[in-house]
Amino acid sequence: MSGSAVLGTAAMLLLAGAVYAGLVASPPDAFQGDYVRIMYVHVPTAWTAYLAVATTLVAGVLFLWKRDPRYDALTRSATELAVLFTGLTLATGSIWGRPVWGVWWTWDARLVTTAILFLIYCAALLVRALADDPRRGARLGAVVGILGAVDVPLIHYSVVWFRTLHQPPSITRGEIALAPPMLRALLLSVLAFTVLFAYLLALRVRVARLEDVGDGG
Amino acid sequence: MTGWARAAAVARKDLRMEWRGRAAAVTSLLTGLLLVLVLGVALGPDPARAAAVVWVAVGSAAAVGIPRITQAEADQQALEALLLYPGRREHLYWGKAASLAVLLGAVAAVVLAVAGVLFALPLGGRLVPLAAVTGAGVASLAALGTLLAGLLLHVRGRELLMPLLLLPLALPPLLACIRLTDAILTGTPAGVWPGVLAAAVAVFGLACPILFEVVVDDA
Repeated sequence: MSGSAVLGTAAMLLLAGAVYAGLVASPPDAFQGDYVRIMYVHVPTAWTAYLAVATTLVAGVLFLWKRDPRYDALTRSATELAVLFTGLTLATGSIWGRPVWGVWWTWDARLVTTAILFLIYCAALLVRALADDPRRGARLGAVVGILGAVDVPLIHYSVVWFRTLHQPPSITRGEIALAPPMLRALLLSVLAFTVLFAYLLALRVRVARLEDVGDGG
Repeated sequence: MTGWARAAAVARKDLRMEWRGRAAAVTSLLTGLLLVLVLGVALGPDPARAAAVVWVAVGSAAAVGIPRITQAEADQQALEALLLYPGRREHLYWGKAASLAVLLGAVAAVVLAVAGVLFALPLGGRLVPLAAVTGAGVASLAALGTLLAGLLLHVRGRELLMPLLLLPLALPPLLACIRLTDAILTGTPAGVWPGVLAAAVAVFGLACPILFEVVVDDA
């Protein structure tokens, strides 16, 4: 069994466990009722989006430093996953916001900056695709990915700077405001999405390497 | 010739070319003024919105004007010649950033003055703090814009991609400038925003020259 097949199987099993923990084993919320279960998808998706952004940053720096095409394949793959998961974070956030806040969208700083991050990584893919030479495109895409990561601290701290509808983070250092079964479901879901991210990344890197071989790179 | 003298020579060359053609300055300025008018009509004459109108106009004007600063290099393959001169490429970056800062500073000053008249803003007596905020905002836009101009030099449709890259990446300094300009005009506390603006200037000022050397590298 190859490494990526092991990751894929682990991701499937963990996701099945997370579905059980989120939908059956955890109680409904006192205020939000069953809508709180959307959290078990939304929070892990946001976490995975940040993970993809961090991977893009590290792989991009390594690529610019070492100029090894393997790091370019990793940067390219992580950028695509950053677009996918920031997009999913926005979608699941809207689906959660509609029943809980009564609106699909609020002009909250965290929402806006997540949308901005989504656009920056779309632009990174565009720059890569529209460069006049694929090797130059790889370098330019890595540079935009690194710059995009500069925006992440703003997203994180904007919830402190702007007092709006978005609820403050439930889990902060030394203070956990979730019931234990809900916390277990959330952590299991975060773990499942992290393994899923690793699986998708491994798969996409393999495809990217095959593309490079096909292009004679 | 020292590195900084080379940077000054590049800045002088860019400013002289801009003075002769005035293409970037005029189009940027007109875009900025047009946005002040359009947003003013759309949002109404409330002075509370003036700071946001000014900085959205300056950001958009920058997105229109910045691709022009490497136009000569793109048209005449002059970048290769510039890169062949002895010395570090960082100085080429600083020269171009300085000329862009002068250009954007002039555009921002005119946009702010016109918005001051149209929105009846109390600019008098607040010119020093406003100049400091505008200077820092323009410095961060110029630092980022110079990198993006180099980055998009060999990308198809660079005029189309510039707003898509500049406006989201420059969001932290633009938001900080909006809040700080508003705080100066209304006399309210500035909060964390001086720190945000200083951080944006520092981050762009440190990261962009390093990344510029990567993007203009032909290897």
